[in-house]
Amino acid sequence: MAILINRHSRIVVQGITGREASMVTKHTLAYGARIAAGVTPGKGGQEVHGIPVYDTLKAACAAHELDTSVIYVPPAFVSDAVAEAVANGIKLILIPTENVPQKDAVKCLALARRAGVRVIGPNSVGMINPADRVKLGAIGGDNVERCFVPGPVGVISRSGGMTAEVSWMVRRAGYGVSTSVSIGGDALIGSTIKDLLPLFEADPETRAVVIFSEPGTSQEEEAADFILQGGFRKPLIAYIAGRFTEDMPEGTVFGHAASIISGNYGRPSLKAAYLKKAGAHVLENFDDLIPTLRQVLGSPSAVAGSAG
Amino acid sequence: MGRLLEHHAKQLLKDEGLAVPPGEIAASENEVLEIARLIGKPVVIKALVPVGRRGKAGAIRFAENPEDAVSISREMLGSSVRNFPVEQVLIEERLDIDQEWYVSITFDKNKKAPVIIASLRGGVDVEELSRSYPGEILVREVDPLSDLADYETREIFAELGVRGKLLIAAAGVLAKLYRAFQRYDAYLLEVNPLVITRDGQIMAAAAVMSVDDSAMYRQTGLTDMVQMGSERAWRPLTDLEKRMVEVNESDPYRGTARYTEMPEGDIGFMCGGGGGSLLCFDTLTALGGHPANYSEVGGNPAEEKVFGITKGILSKVGVKGLFVCHNITNNTQVDILARGIIRALEDLRVDLSTFPVVVREAGVNDAAARELFTAAGVEYYGDEVTMTEACTHMITRMQKNLADRRPG
Repeated sequence: MAILINRHSRIVVQGITGREASMVTKHTLAYGARIAAGVTPGKGGQEVHGIPVYDTLKAACAAHELDTSVIYVPPAFVSDAVAEAVANGIKLILIPTENVPQKDAVKCLALARRAGVRVIGPNSVGMINPADRVKLGAIGGDNVERCFVPGPVGVISRSGGMTAEVSWMVRRAGYGVSTSVSIGGDALIGSTIKDLLPLFEADPETRAVVIFSEPGTSQEEEAADFILQGGFRKPLIAYIAGRFTEDMPEGTVFGHAASIISGNYGRPSLKAAYLKKAGAHVLENFDDLIPTLRQVLGSPSAVAGSAG
Repeated sequence: MGRLLEHHAKQLLKDEGLAVPPGEIAASENEVLEIARLIGKPVVIKALVPVGRRGKAGAIRFAENPEDAVSISREMLGSSVRNFPVEQVLIEERLDIDQEWYVSITFDKNKKAPVIIASLRGGVDVEELSRSYPGEILVREVDPLSDLADYETREIFAELGVRGKLLIAAAGVLAKLYRAFQRYDAYLLEVNPLVITRDGQIMAAAAVMSVDDSAMYRQTGLTDMVQMGSERAWRPLTDLEKRMVEVNESDPYRGTARYTEMPEGDIGFMCGGGGGSLLCFDTLTALGGHPANYSEVGGNPAEEKVFGITKGILSKVGVKGLFVCHNITNNTQVDILARGIIRALEDLRVDLSTFPVVVREAGVNDAAARELFTAAGVEYYGDEVTMTEACTHMITRMQKNLADRRPG
């Protein structure tokens, strides 16, 4: 088990002929995931690392059964690519692209929402299910096992890079991850922390969830409410980065686009207070993740499915 | 988000067919005198600075006659408002006000949709409005997949209690505001107050507009109105920051290199990505360190970009060491980071025996990075240490350095 992706995922890469997409395709195939097709308008008939390229997603869907798409196109074309994926029956879309205009983001997220299509991102480095050796996006690069080994911990991160670092810390503690998800650093994203918690709650393999948070948005407050309402009962461990930004003049962006404080909105200290009230383990120091995981999960050797 | 100065925002609204008070901008007392005489009525003088809540900061004042206008502008010009120097003032005819309303349009991140916020209690800032009259504010979500329909604009003002001809006129104004919000990829458009004059006109007396910087590629007409990178500083960009924006923009499609100067500090901070930088800054600070800048370098930048930003980080006065740390990278080639950083250190002839440089870089091609950094004599760590441990090493080196420099 895991959430959202597994060995049955049938993946298409929209924009597969791009430099980044082509490299990610190579790494993903080497990892063992099944990319069935790629789409780049005007390049139909070509191949990328042995994967057939189609001009349209419609043509790709006619030749293959596809349910998952990774959209590697420049910001200006993201909205249309999402519309194309939704129109062709894709059920899960991951958007790595950064700097998607807000106007386009609200449009394509609304379109997907209405069609019941889940979106991860924009500005996501990817997601990974190590037990099934399936990943979407650049996550893990060419050395996936360094950070991502199978185990009982779910990871949700607002930072792409820290998705890897958190998962590596989980491994260092002696465990592994069920699924690690980089949800994207933008203010407007398809799936928030609260949106993913019920999936981890329902996943029998996941025994605890670690979240990496930042200033800005009200995702942590919403997650805390969701826990208090009984929607998530497993242990939640949270690290909220960017405490120093509370001492800076408000309205300044530090880090990702969503990382901005306005009044009390977005303050790490208030997020920490909310999560603590909901019973979450809020880390003062990032390295405390290791002892906290051990405290929550018991000794690594006793955990079935952990990296050991 | 790039915030537009008020006269730019008002010009865009005017182009959309909205009424704004007659006015001109002035950079000197002579110009103020000329404009105020030309208007020939009591005027409003506004400092042109890209900050909010200007009224409270004394940056919006009234003058009965041209002479008063000159003496007020004398105080304003050359002063600064929330760290921004006032180089120009906007002189406008003072309106004969019957009512002051509030209208703003922005994106609601939870609803993931544009929202219109409207109230007939304008003229105070929105925070005060929501404190004092929470029951008199209307928030209306707009369907992102269809435009704001005319009937919706009427519903909004009808629900607020506007009747008759004014209802029709106000609805028309809102439709135009929403069109401007959409047309210019605005992130925020706030008209406060939206004034109803005694002769029944509706005028945008004050306007705040921020443009989504991700959309600037298709808003070329606004290029000269929006300062790129301004959302990452709480004051005008410093010369060093402007140079770093140039370094970043020189190769916009390969990697990110962002730089913000901190008021003081002695640790040159060369970290990334977005989350990793926040973590390192917090950790160094908690350990008693003082980063001289904030930075965010990631997304597999080219060597030239790394070289440029590292030089920039090292060039700030008072920097006595360099801390380089990223999360384990997914796609950033750390050997390229190494090349850029080492080149900058060599270019500036940094003496590593007196200037601590601590690096924690792991990820793509880190074996090569280890070789490069080690050969250059830099204290290098890969994934044998955590980010927190690397921060501790940096602080230890800085403290040792400080102790060594103390006489006796």
